[in-house]
Amino acid sequence: MKISLNWIKDYVILDGISTEEIVDKLTMSGLEVEDFIDQNKKYSGIIVGLVKDVQKHPNADKLTVCSVYDGKNDLNVVCGAPNVEKGQNVIFAPIGSIIPKGNMEMKKVKIRGVESNGMICAEDELELSDDHSGIMVLADDLSAGTLISEALKLNDVLLEIAITPNRPDALSHIGVARDLAAIFNRDLRISKLDFQESQQDIKQLASVEIEDKLNCPRYSAKVVTGITIKESPEWLQNKLTKIGLRPINNVVDVTNFILHELGQPLHAFDLDQLSGKRIIVKSLSEDLKFTTLDSKERILPKGTMMICDGKREVAIAGVMGGENSEVTASTKNILIESAYFNPTSIRRTSKKLQLSSDSSYRFERGTDPSNTVFAAQRAAQLIASIAGGEIAKGVIDEYPVKIKQKEMTFRLARMKKLLGYEVPKADVIKIFQKLGINLLKDMGESLEVIVPTHRPDIEREADLIEEVARIAGYEKIPAIEKVSITLHKRKDDFDLEDKIRESAVALGFNEMVNNPLIQESDSRVTGNPIQIANPQSQDMAYLRTSLLVSVLPIISNNIKKGEKDIAVFEIGNVFEKLKDDLNSFSDFEEKKKLLFIITGKKQSRQWYSAELDYDIFDLKGLINSFFSKISLDNVLNDSYNSIQNKIYDYQFTVNFKDLMFGVGGRVSKNVLKMFDINQPVFSFECDLKILGDLSGKKRTFKELLKYPKVYRDFAFLFDKSINYTTVKEFILRGGTDILKSVELFDLFESKEIAEDKKSMAFNLEYYDYNRTLTDEEVDKDFQSLITKVTEKFNAILRGK
Amino acid sequence: MQRSEIERIKSDFDQEIEKASTSGELEQVRIKFLSRNGIVTKLFDELKSVPGEDKPVFGKLLNNLRTEVTESFNNKKLIIESNQLPDSSSIDLTLPGKGIKIGSRHILTQTLFEIKSIFKGLGFSVYDGPELESDYYNFEALNFPPDHPARDMQDTFFVSDKFLLRTHTTPVQIRIMEKEQPPIRAIMPGRVYRNEAISSRSYCMFHQVDGIYVDTDVSFAELKGTLVSFAEQFYGEGFKYRFRPSFFPFTEPSAEMDITCYICKGKGCRVCKHSGWLEILGCGMVDPNVFKYVNYDAEKYTGYAFGMGIERIAMLKYGIDDIRIFFENDLRFLKQF
Ligand SMILES: [Zn+2]
Repeated sequence: MKISLNWIKDYVILDGISTEEIVDKLTMSGLEVEDFIDQNKKYSGIIVGLVKDVQKHPNADKLTVCSVYDGKNDLNVVCGAPNVEKGQNVIFAPIGSIIPKGNMEMKKVKIRGVESNGMICAEDELELSDDHSGIMVLADDLSAGTLISEALKLNDVLLEIAITPNRPDALSHIGVARDLAAIFNRDLRISKLDFQESQQDIKQLASVEIEDKLNCPRYSAKVVTGITIKESPEWLQNKLTKIGLRPINNVVDVTNFILHELGQPLHAFDLDQLSGKRIIVKSLSEDLKFTTLDSKERILPKGTMMICDGKREVAIAGVMGGENSEVTASTKNILIESAYFNPTSIRRTSKKLQLSSDSSYRFERGTDPSNTVFAAQRAAQLIASIAGGEIAKGVIDEYPVKIKQKEMTFRLARMKKLLGYEVPKADVIKIFQKLGINLLKDMGESLEVIVPTHRPDIEREADLIEEVARIAGYEKIPAIEKVSITLHKRKDDFDLEDKIRESAVALGFNEMVNNPLIQESDSRVTGNPIQIANPQSQDMAYLRTSLLVSVLPIISNNIKKGEKDIAVFEIGNVFEKLKDDLNSFSDFEEKKKLLFIITGKKQSRQWYSAELDYDIFDLKGLINSFFSKISLDNVLNDSYNSIQNKIYDYQFTVNFKDLMFGVGGRVSKNVLKMFDINQPVFSFECDLKILGDLSGKKRTFKELLKYPKVYRDFAFLFDKSINYTTVKEFILRGGTDILKSVELFDLFESKEIAEDKKSMAFNLEYYDYNRTLTDEEVDKDFQSLITKVTEKFNAILRGK
Repeated sequence: MQRSEIERIKSDFDQEIEKASTSGELEQVRIKFLSRNGIVTKLFDELKSVPGEDKPVFGKLLNNLRTEVTESFNNKKLIIESNQLPDSSSIDLTLPGKGIKIGSRHILTQTLFEIKSIFKGLGFSVYDGPELESDYYNFEALNFPPDHPARDMQDTFFVSDKFLLRTHTTPVQIRIMEKEQPPIRAIMPGRVYRNEAISSRSYCMFHQVDGIYVDTDVSFAELKGTLVSFAEQFYGEGFKYRFRPSFFPFTEPSAEMDITCYICKGKGCRVCKHSGWLEILGCGMVDPNVFKYVNYDAEKYTGYAFGMGIERIAMLKYGIDDIRIFFENDLRFLKQF
């Protein structure tokens, strides 16, 4: 919200307080000043110049060389504007001054060979408007050398304040002034009413009836007759322009002025356009086409609260007036509406229509129901004084549902408990008084107070405590250095994730964090996705059903950028729809998952190694190492293709007993094609919750082996159809207790051996924890295994 | 054979062994004195012609000589060998090392981890919660009434009338308090979502860490002390801070904490919008209405709560000027951290 400090000073005297201090104190009491412009500084050095002469530029058709008088000297200035003429008063930026647009310092320059000592400015260069069609020509009566800030009354400080939703009272100049009065302990001065009324009773000129009493608790009105619509006087135009409003005419300008002065939105109706001179506040019984005063036709839904006259709707209550009753150049008599509407009702309408106005913004946050009559009277007074006309006698004030001021108790002990600091009682009382919170009774240890209706946010003791704290200053509350904490069971739900990250990083993986919002077609690949009802774009209209589908586009992008060799992981949530309508937590599933992806080269071409591509066995190996790192051994299951899906060409699973909790494999070509990926991708995804439950077991220390290990090797020719795991398991089972592990160390297929055969060589490890093995017992076991393998698989022992 | 001759040989040897500085020169010394035809070996041949009664004396002298010379030679040999560089002609040591792939944590999870560690040190537990939340947990129980303008503070992605993507990690506070009785001392990190236009400054998804402490005598002063301690541990000491009033529906009083802009050291720059301050977190005392929703006695218990955005913190700390780069996951970016 834009606030003019000069305007503020109409209500509170801030003499002796610097702008910086005002800005700082406002921010530190809850009205955050996001930005401020000190116009005197902004326009410093820029002055009124008199164009004494205009000559053609010798070297450029579109330029002129002007002689500009700055109050002391005549200066040569090159100008490009088409409208510069001899005798004009202009805005002149001399050497050393700073042009607000672009913050550019003026320097002496040569333009096409002619020296220029400054610049004649257009409106946009002073950030007065966007106009750059020509230079700004000033009034003739100004004298050269006068500061522009003085000549154009650009001597204000403009504040941009961020008002939090709980402070509707601060959405006006008086509101901000009230806080400043409390902060600096000054008096708030609200203008007194001073006007004459005609003999004509308002009740003979208009009537107001409220049907929707719940949503319109109060409707006040004043009537002014015989006015002349014209431009507002300069002081009023100036006030509005400063805060970024465009002056329209004297009546509309006054309603805008009152809104920004008091925070009470007003609406002026052309009384002669109101059928039956009646105002009826009621809700629409059916949908309605309605043209608002921005000339847009809108469909208003049934239930919308409207202002109607004797026949038709004339305004959307609290949001925007209708074109059919707006004040025009020929308007003579007006009715000024000053109402209090239910915030919820206005917000619903504004949301539904996606139509927000300065009025609706204030109504939906809560205006002051006690201020409607004063605002209407003040508006009538101002209009009568600048538009002529007479103020009808009396006021219409329908107030069927009275809104009471809230009474509450403020305990000093509670303040001390909550803040850890005690503001002295005398200061508390003073703060309350400045904020309009009246003391009813001083009970010693507590205060009974009554809260004014302009502070709807103050509802409980805690709110009063905040008021005291913010005006006294949060900086007064100490930051205590010793805290006592209760020792209770500590936990960290993310322990496993941290452990996983540590292991994954050690295994060479880079961690990704991807956006779970993806496009529909991608999300459908791995499940039944949940749709976002109000997405920003179709690219992000669904939640991911797997980590894989949100990571593949990223893999694709990386490959396109030349990062083709990738080993990444992500920990994140995936979402699956279980029922069409999401009404409870059981209608969908949110699961935390872990994903590993490898693609491209495992090893680039190097002086010590040929290049190697990642394959499924790298994935298996990495996954195995990963699981053993987090204390989960033997969970990998080689039951390939035991589950069917369209995601992998071939896959393996991880199981714990009968529970499958992860799948890995080579991502199918069809899926890769969707993401425009042309290289094999190997991916593994598993459920983190189950992983967490399983890996909870503590690892215990195993006694180190004291006796030597003994090794034996053998190699056999097998039929190609016989797989490794079958043979390995057979050997392990076939050996005696001293056989501890079987490792494949060579795999060989070649036409020279036989078309349908392969050679597998195994290394057998023997040891015993309690003794040294003899060669004889190892050989005996080894020989018996040779026989068994030969018989079982019809294998041929090689070599030896 | 003369005693003086033996002494002369010894002193010759001493001089030559002293001079020898390469293994080649040392070898020359060995050949001259200790080889089969060397001077010392030859002396033993001459022992045969020494008269009988002198033999034991000279024998002993020669043995001593040989022992001393051999020892001295071996010592010198060790010295020379230990000073010698290995033969570098057979290996090019300037070849590059063999690379080993090292992974990396995402900078956001690293930052989260750092923040988490500090709060764990301050006695906080760490809780997780769902991202797909109900309106009740995300808004209602946190004192955002329906149709209240406060809801405009957090633009929301809805998946149905009742369910939405959480806009903050604060709902986890309600989940904890529903299950447990005070004291509650916990932080809640996680992803949150906002339906805001994507730009270099804002993204539709980001990370937050929320925190809450509820007990019988928790005060704003303790909140200040705790957060200042956090900031000192995270940002290092030597900054100024300020708490200024703000508004959150779930806290009363509410505040925002600013620290000295550590880019301009408080002088004012583009990043701090020329204020010299950087907002790092929002906080306040738990609103009594929130306690009502979880059936805590608001007279008996007080509590504080706080929340901070991780991306913003990481952007400032690492000089990242576009939030989108966190989620583009360009390998070249990931590998930097
Ligand atoms: Zn700065």
